[in-house]
Amino acid sequence: MKEIVIISGKGGTGKTSVAAALATIASQTVMADCDVDAADLHLILKPDTRQSEAFFSGVKAVIDPDKCSACGLCEAICRFGAISHQGMHYAVDRLACEGCGYCHHICPVDAISLPEQQVGHSYISHTKLGSQLVHAKLEAGADNSGKLVAKVKKDAKELALKTGMDYVWVDGSPGIGCPVISSLSGADFVLLVTEPTLSGLGDMQRVHQLVEQFKIPAGCLINKADINPEVTDRIKDFIQEKGILLVDEIPYDEDFPHAITLGQSLVEFNPAKWRPRFDRIWQIVCKELT
Amino acid sequence: MKIAFTSTGTGWDAMIDPRFGRTDYIFIYDEDTQETTHIDNRQIVNVAHGAGPQTAQRIYEHKPQVLITGNGPGGNAASILSQMDLKIFTGAGGMTVRQAYQAYQDGKLPQGT
Repeated sequence: MKEIVIISGKGGTGKTSVAAALATIASQTVMADCDVDAADLHLILKPDTRQSEAFFSGVKAVIDPDKCSACGLCEAICRFGAISHQGMHYAVDRLACEGCGYCHHICPVDAISLPEQQVGHSYISHTKLGSQLVHAKLEAGADNSGKLVAKVKKDAKELALKTGMDYVWVDGSPGIGCPVISSLSGADFVLLVTEPTLSGLGDMQRVHQLVEQFKIPAGCLINKADINPEVTDRIKDFIQEKGILLVDEIPYDEDFPHAITLGQSLVEFNPAKWRPRFDRIWQIVCKELT
Repeated sequence: MKIAFTSTGTGWDAMIDPRFGRTDYIFIYDEDTQETTHIDNRQIVNVAHGAGPQTAQRIYEHKPQVLITGNGPGGNAASILSQMDLKIFTGAGGMTVRQAYQAYQDGKLPQGT
């Protein structure tokens, strides 16, 4: 079983459109949506949830009013201004608390506990295409973490092994932080989706440093390749220098937003135009994996 | 020579865990005494952030001279491991611990930094 991660660094390059199109044509595949901050693969794949599990991550301070001696030490040391005097004792503003635990350690009467927070759910679903999707949903204000990404990936891999699938495709998280490291960790191939803008190039270079660190073979898909030929050339120079495979160059195409508006993948939106193209991309990636 | 492997189990036939920070176990083989031992790293699943540095700390405490893994550690973990005299070999994903040890002895695994 092979694990492929689609990643972009910069948002808005068409990463999820590419992931959804590949999900439409891919056989023998479990999809995993690890872009949990703004999960959107489900908007196109319309999953029917089969299993749901509460997800806990991080801690927040809670003050027991019966134990609180109202000394005010916690309010004085909280760097986030999350603790204030309310009535006879002190209370924590859950939105402001960062869970650092300083107040818990400093409280002279042990009135402050740090319970783990339920921040969302992870799901195993069947998509409208009959394929399997592992995804997650965070509560408002909760942040994605390496832990949650590792959980989604683990479920996807177990599902693939159990159902005899050959591939796990991971729609990766943005940026270069902890969730992205967790997305990349253990991958067999990385598909970088970029666009010819300066931030598209810059963010791809940054995320590629991680890919390089993990020594994962990579391919690059340049979306909207014709909107700035000069930057497209710079992207090509970069990927040639780094030994990244040029998987495809797709010209700017309004099918991308139109398909999303209808909740369809590109391959569903216009099969005659897009199926051969994504079949070819799929073949190229599969060839790299053997 | 003490050799550490990131692994999904505790025996020679366990698969290498290609992940460093979130590896389930660290299997350690001491070539001098021919003894094996392992570190249970599974509680790392509860760590939201900073898994790599925590696993690096655990490895540091056992002072192996060689680490065999899949992708290799990320930047923060690598900077901790660079504090000890440790050679890191990658590319063992998809192998069992036994196969990875053989590949290492045959000089088939790329050495990282």
